[in-house]
Parts: sequence; C-alpha cells; structure tokens
Amino acid sequence: MRRAPTLNPTVRTRPLVLSLALVALIGAGCSGDDEESGPLGLAGVELSAPTERPDFVLTDTSGRDFDFLEETGGELTLVYFGYTECPDICPVHLAQLSEALDRPGMPDATVVFVSVDPGRDDPDTIREWLDNFDDDFVGLTGSVDQLIVAQEAAGVVPADIEGDPEEAGYLVGHAGQLLAYAPDDRGYVIYPFGTRQSELVEDLPVLAELTGEEAA
Amino acid sequence: MLLAVDISFWCSTIAEPFTWTPRLYPGIWAAMLALAVPYLVAQHRRSRSGAPNGDRRRRTFRYLSGVLVVWLATDWPIGLLGASYLASAHMLQYLLYGLVAAPLMLLGVPEWMARQLLSKLRAYRAVLWLARPLTAGIVYNVVLVLTHAPATTDVLRANQAGSAVMDVAWLLSGLILWLPICSPLPEHTRKSYGAKMAYLFIAATIVPVFPASFLTFSEFPLYEIYELAPRVFGLEAGTDQAMAGLIMKVGSIPVIWGTLLVMMMRWARDEGVPGLGADDERAPHPA
Repeated sequence: MRRAPTLNPTVRTRPLVLSLALVALIGAGCSGDDEESGPLGLAGVELSAPTERPDFVLTDTSGRDFDFLEETGGELTLVYFGYTECPDICPVHLAQLSEALDRPGMPDATVVFVSVDPGRDDPDTIREWLDNFDDDFVGLTGSVDQLIVAQEAAGVVPADIEGDPEEAGYLVGHAGQLLAYAPDDRGYVIYPFGTRQSELVEDLPVLAELTGEEAA
Repeated sequence: MLLAVDISFWCSTIAEPFTWTPRLYPGIWAAMLALAVPYLVAQHRRSRSGAPNGDRRRRTFRYLSGVLVVWLATDWPIGLLGASYLASAHMLQYLLYGLVAAPLMLLGVPEWMARQLLSKLRAYRAVLWLARPLTAGIVYNVVLVLTHAPATTDVLRANQAGSAVMDVAWLLSGLILWLPICSPLPEHTRKSYGAKMAYLFIAATIVPVFPASFLTFSEFPLYEIYELAPRVFGLEAGTDQAMAGLIMKVGSIPVIWGTLLVMMMRWARDEGVPGLGADDERAPHPA
C-alpha cells in the first residue's frame, strides 16, 4: 500500500500562502491607477492652461446647422474628431464613452462626434454609425474648409487623408483624443486613446460640477 | 506574390476590428503537428515491432481528439478572439485546454509511450513529483491565478511569443491537473476513488471561484486588452467580462461533475452495488 507523503508543516503552508498571494494579484487589477495629472486631480490628461469652448458651425445628421458654442454652451460636452470607417480607435473611444455614460450616477453629457471624412461620411452614414453606440450622440459634418476651422478652433491638428482618396479604404490621420468641456465652457482635460472606463467614470462627475460658480 | 490574408506566428492582440476573414498562424499549425506526428510515428513503430499495443485505435482517437481541441482553442477564430477581443473567449480557451484537451490527451497516451517519453526527456522523477495531488493542485491553481491576473494577461497577450507561452502554460497545467486522475502511468494515479474525487473537487473547483467572482462582479473591465479592443458581436466590455467570470464558474461543471459522477459509479460498481455492474449478482426479490 502506498504511504501518504509526509511533509514538513512549514513547507506545506508555503505553497498555500503563495497561492493566496497570487489570488490577490487578480484583485490588484481592480484597484485602478490612482495617478493624477494636474490640479483638478483628474485621471485624464489635464491641460496646462484651460481652453475656451470652441466656436464653430457645422451640419448635424438631420441636415441642420449646428452652432457648437450656442448648442452646447453651459453643458458638460465631449467632442471627438474621427470618421466612421476608422478601423480602430474611433469605435473604441465611442464605445468606451457610451459604456461609461450608461453607468448609474453619471452626469448628463452631450457627446459630439465630428466626422473629418466628408468624402465618405454623409449625415445618414454618420447617424447610422453613431446609433451603434448611442442614438443621443450628436454627429456633425461639413465642407473640408469648415472642418479645418472646427478642428483649429478646438485646438487639434486638422485631419489629413493618408493615401489616395479615390481608392476605397483610404485612412484618415486625425486627432485621437477626446476633448472635454465643463459647464463653465472651458476645456481642462483630454482623454487620449487608451483611457479606461474607470477613468472616465471618475472624471466626468467632477467636470460636471465645474459650473464657474464654485470660484465665486 | 501578395497574399490576401494576414499571416502571423501565433494569435496575439491586434488593433483591427474582428472579421470572419480567416487569418493564418503557421506557428500554431507547426505546434499541432509537433503534438500529433511523433505520437502517430511512435504508434506505427510499435505496431510494426509486434510489441503489445492494446486498445490502440481508441487511444489514438482520444489523443487526436485532444490535439484537435487544442487546435480549435488556439487557432483562428477562437484563438484570435481570446487573444485580442473577448475575455469570454479567453476563458473558453482556458477551459478547453485544461478540462477537455488535457484529459483526452492523457487518456490517449499508452503506458509504454509515456515511459519512453519520460525516459528520453529524463523527466520521470519530475513528473512523478508533479503528479502528487498537492503539487498538481497547487501548480494548476497557481497557473490559473497568474495567467488570469490582468497584468499578466495584458502583457502576455500583447505579443505572439507571450501569447504562445500562455497557451502552452494552460495546456501543461491542465495535463498536470489530470495526472493523479488519468495518467498513463499507474504510479501517478490515486488508487482510491474517494481520494481521486476529493482531489479533483478541491483542485479544480474551489480556487477558480475567486477569480471568477472578481471578473463577474468587478465594477469596471479589468483587462486592458479586451476593454480597448474593437467590440465584437455588440458585446460591451463589462458584459463580456461578466460572461468570462460565468464561464469560469459554470463552464467546468459538466466536465468536473461528470467525471466525479463517473468515478462514483465505478466506485459503486467495484464495491458491488447492485445494478451497476455487468456481472453483479442481483439480490433475489422476496416472494
């Protein structure tokens, strides 16, 4: 008959302790990154100097003029310049934003997606694409010149077509960050690609409280 | 000549959206051949030598079925989904390696082949040590926890070599888990059904509950690679992760509890419980 192996009790407990420590590794993933980037203590990248809410007029997905400053002034607003055939970061950014804003306790925010690919993104295409994320997201487009004005007003590098625009599947180089404007009409922070939902959920309620009255 | 499909060595994280256009992974095919061909050659040689090789067909079927499951779990599409897009696919891969492929492969390896292999690799003592229930249970669960920690998964899945290491670790830990139950070497397996059942229950069902709970009930997505991946099948990152936790929790039930049930019935049959054995003697009914 096989004898049960005898183990030194201290040896026997070491693997157990090791296993428990390893289980804690999973938990470590829940703790998130507590790094703060600036005076507001936001998880996003705080700007060294706040920017003004940009002033531009484009066309929304129902074909009407959309005066960005007038329509969104005084509201927490998130703006993203991208295009519907973007293979990677645009859909991920919008999905992250949509999933973060759907969480309980999140403030109301206006999300504005500006297509920088007027050659392919007509209003219907933009609307159909945005509805995959949230049918409340605002979609805007315009002429090439109008879009350049809008991007410069927002302080991002204007998008540039990479490759031959006559060929299907061309890519568009564009700003990859999400711009956030607080209700006091100032932009304090941007969210580059790679921003986690936990960071958005941490920051957006703080931004929603920046109404401009707190300093008075 | 331009190829219409992408070719890589092993499935790892990629930035593009998932499509049903097949992607080719020659490294995975080479690994599958490395698992299957030496086995078939050894079986063939054994048969030609005239040495006893009972149950060859059934063993070969089991082993190749195990290799097939490894291939399905590793290659496109499941392999790519698990390496790049979905935590739930990552978990499905893990279960396929450890709970389906590993026992099938062990059941398919004849004793003579296992002895030859361990002798060639000079690994007999090491495997004997790994086959001890305490060691096997700890190794399996340490690999489970390590490879499901977000930091590990995010780093390893990001590159092809790391991704291959993770897949190999899962298969090896699965083989180790099942050694005390169905190793081809009788000195590896527990003699009593009770010991086998207790070992399998403790080793394969208790620890996984903790990471599964973290995944199911976490407030936010834990894995960066899956959270920042283009969404697949309209699944939100949080929903996908909760599904991964559920798969980890309940996915093992059919295999583990099915195995426990089979062992219990065999135990009862060996103990002579009426109705479970072909040659049992039924007690006469009272007149």
